[in-house]
Amino acid sequence: MKEPEKPIAPDPTPAQVLPKNFLRPCLLLLLREQPAHGYDLLERLRPLGFNRDDPGRLYRALRTLETDGLVRSVWEKSTSGPDRRMYELTREGMELLHESVTSLKATYEILGMFLSRYTEFVALRPPKKSPAPRD
Amino acid sequence: MDELEVMRVRDEVLQAMYWLHSEAISTMPTAKELSRFLAVPEPVLVPYLERFVEDGLLERGSAAFYWLSETGMESGKRTFADEMADLTRPTHGECDADCWCHDSPEAAADCLHERTGKAHST
Repeated sequence: MKEPEKPIAPDPTPAQVLPKNFLRPCLLLLLREQPAHGYDLLERLRPLGFNRDDPGRLYRALRTLETDGLVRSVWEKSTSGPDRRMYELTREGMELLHESVTSLKATYEILGMFLSRYTEFVALRPPKKSPAPRD
Repeated sequence: MDELEVMRVRDEVLQAMYWLHSEAISTMPTAKELSRFLAVPEPVLVPYLERFVEDGLLERGSAAFYWLSETGMESGKRTFADEMADLTRPTHGECDADCWCHDSPEAAADCLHERTGKAHST
């Protein structure tokens, strides 16, 4: 009996394969680089694997970081619209950024080892035989 | 509706809507967009939104878009700042502005040790 075909899973998006809570160190890093508004952060998160379709995630993360004392925000006057919050890193945020990087480096090394062993295994697989030509 | 809960949700909704508006991400979100933004189920959120419309804090368009009234805008901005005010004041013994730019875990640990007299947690 023929097995039913399994549905093909879509390729994971970068956000699906990122480490858990990766948004937190990313925000700390971006704010270490320079203070920023929410919209600016949303744009700068894209190269780090986050899409900009979920601003609520950013908003909630910023609120939590602020409540935890890792980020602070101040009003910035705007001439073209309502005043906006400008976010900046606190001393505690800087310390947590350093701690997060230590942990991410360890993950990076483990992943490097995994990929190296996988590459070795793939290289050792015998090549597939091509079907014999028909007469 | 529990009035304490109404007050809590009111602050949360108005602050979120002010943030969305000020960042030019969305000035007139739908209930569905707001529920996703706040991570609250839509059927839970909608009665509160309707209540805030009745209270004159929000306005609603025919297609279930919501936006902040002038009062709602002021309230969202004010409560946002009030909620974080205690967190943004410098605390006793906090580093100088140019201190927290140390670039290594060791320097950060040394500074924290000096400030608190305790060993760093790492």
